Amino acid sequence: MKIDRVRCLPERRSGCAPPRGQITGAQGMRWLAQRETLRVSKLWTQTVLAPVISALLFILVFGLSLGDRVRNVGTVEYDQFIVPGLIAMAMVQAAFANNASTIFQARSERYINDILSSPMHPWQMTIGFVVGGVFRGLLIGGSLLAAALLLTGVPFENPAALALTTVLCLVLFAAFGTVVGIYAESWDNTTFIGNIVILPLAFVGGTFYSVALLPSPWEELSHFNPIFYMVQAMRFGLLGESDVSIWLSLGVTAALAIPAYLWAQWLFSSGHKLKA
Amino acid sequence: MYRDTESSQPALALRGLTKRYDDGTLAVENFDLEVPAGAFFGLLGPNGAGKTTVISAVCNLIRVTAGEVLVFGEPITSLQARSWIGLAEQDINLDRFLSVRETLIYHGGYFGMGREEAEQRAEQMIDAFNLRSKRDVVAPKLSGGQRRRLLLARALMHRPRLVILDEPTAGVDYELRQELWLYIRQLHAEGTTILLTTHYLEEAEELCEEIALIRDGKLLARDSADGLREHYGATNLADVYVKAMAEV
Ligand SMILES: Nc1ncnc2c1ncn2[C@@H]1O[C@H](COP(=O)(O)OP(=O)(O)O)[C@@H](O)[C@H]1O
Ligand SMILES: [Mg+2]
Repeated sequence: MKIDRVRCLPERRSGCAPPRGQITGAQGMRWLAQRETLRVSKLWTQTVLAPVISALLFILVFGLSLGDRVRNVGTVEYDQFIVPGLIAMAMVQAAFANNASTIFQARSERYINDILSSPMHPWQMTIGFVVGGVFRGLLIGGSLLAAALLLTGVPFENPAALALTTVLCLVLFAAFGTVVGIYAESWDNTTFIGNIVILPLAFVGGTFYSVALLPSPWEELSHFNPIFYMVQAMRFGLLGESDVSIWLSLGVTAALAIPAYLWAQWLFSSGHKLKA
Repeated sequence: MYRDTESSQPALALRGLTKRYDDGTLAVENFDLEVPAGAFFGLLGPNGAGKTTVISAVCNLIRVTAGEVLVFGEPITSLQARSWIGLAEQDINLDRFLSVRETLIYHGGYFGMGREEAEQRAEQMIDAFNLRSKRDVVAPKLSGGQRRRLLLARALMHRPRLVILDEPTAGVDYELRQELWLYIRQLHAEGTTILLTTHYLEEAEELCEEIALIRDGKLLARDSADGLREHYGATNLADVYVKAMAEV
């Protein structure tokens, strides 16, 4: 038997006495947030590069090549018109997919237990996870914005509205992804919601056209699509105009973000689906 | 130097612990148990007895149906109590995105360590558990033995007062079992309280000072190995086990 492989454990500083003072969980929350951002960075080709390239292809193909042949929408050039919606779509899909998959994987391989058993409050776990999706969305949004500036020269009409919209949308979809990742019983469940619910709603959310141009009842129906309001808010922030008031857009987004966040928080505090 | 053996509070106190899973399985019923500070305590019982359920209740991994869990006198709902526990689960559950070093550092962080402290401690653990050459390798690329060692190192990373090992040697080869036993013994010699579950009689006999026998979610007996042998008029623990299990 090779006992020599067994080394001495590092000497304890002070016997078994608790090494630290008051535990608040704040430290743990920061480390969890950092773990989530580390995961995004380690997988950057999938988490950032791929969605950025696919959104850029839309901007290039639809905007720059078709743009010459498509009439302006209102006063806006078509290549600029589609940019805000494409950025919003790429960001919210990524925030959702990120959190649904990070949580689902942590649950199915049970390393989430390392977090559930740690001295953190449930609200700190919620924040830690949501930060990951928001971080990924910001990386994508930032890259696309920089590219769109170079390619199409979109103006930054309302930076404050743009920042607020971005944060609300990302929190909404990161929280919703968290919820889906907690309820999901298989990988299919998470991709199903992404592909069957979010993607189609994003496509008919007024990214490629002004819904005011749609015939009845499609115009009215568009107003029931939550992603429509996010696209409008982004368009207002970037281009200074949208089909509906910015306040309505922000209000609808916030009205969805708050319950989604509370739902995720409730799952962590009740342990429903996370703890047997 | 402060040692938990001088502590007046038991390391773990379970009172009336009951767990019924959502599917109706009553896994643990009205379970009382006290593990003294500094003890090397074994929870021995066949598969399905409820050992993992008891441990999960202590580590905030299940929603308990009824009862109370105190760690060094603090309820497990308190962050302080949770920071005192180190758990190595039965099945290996390492974060697939983290390297050996990151696994240790992030765990230390979740349990309240600052970066500098966690980095130092992680290097010590990497040497102690012979993982130096795998320091920057992610968990899925480790061998089975390396994963087991990392799992144990992670449980000890934040210097817990109560270390809980759920079947640490189940499905492990002879050599690794001896190796793990040596680590666990060292840990106990340093004064750490150890709660170990096992269905291997020789493991309980070899390591544990005190043993609780559990079956069908109920406590059958709890004593020192000698006390149990005496009580059941048995010559070894295997005999005790057979007699105790036959009683119910
Ligand atoms: N998540 C669960 N849902 C339903 N029943 C469970 C669950 N986990 C364990 N059980 C049941 O509870 C009982 C005790 O299991 P467990 O605590 O894992 O035993 P042990 O660790 O002693 O082998 C068993 O009957 C087992 O099937
Ligand atoms: Mg078990």
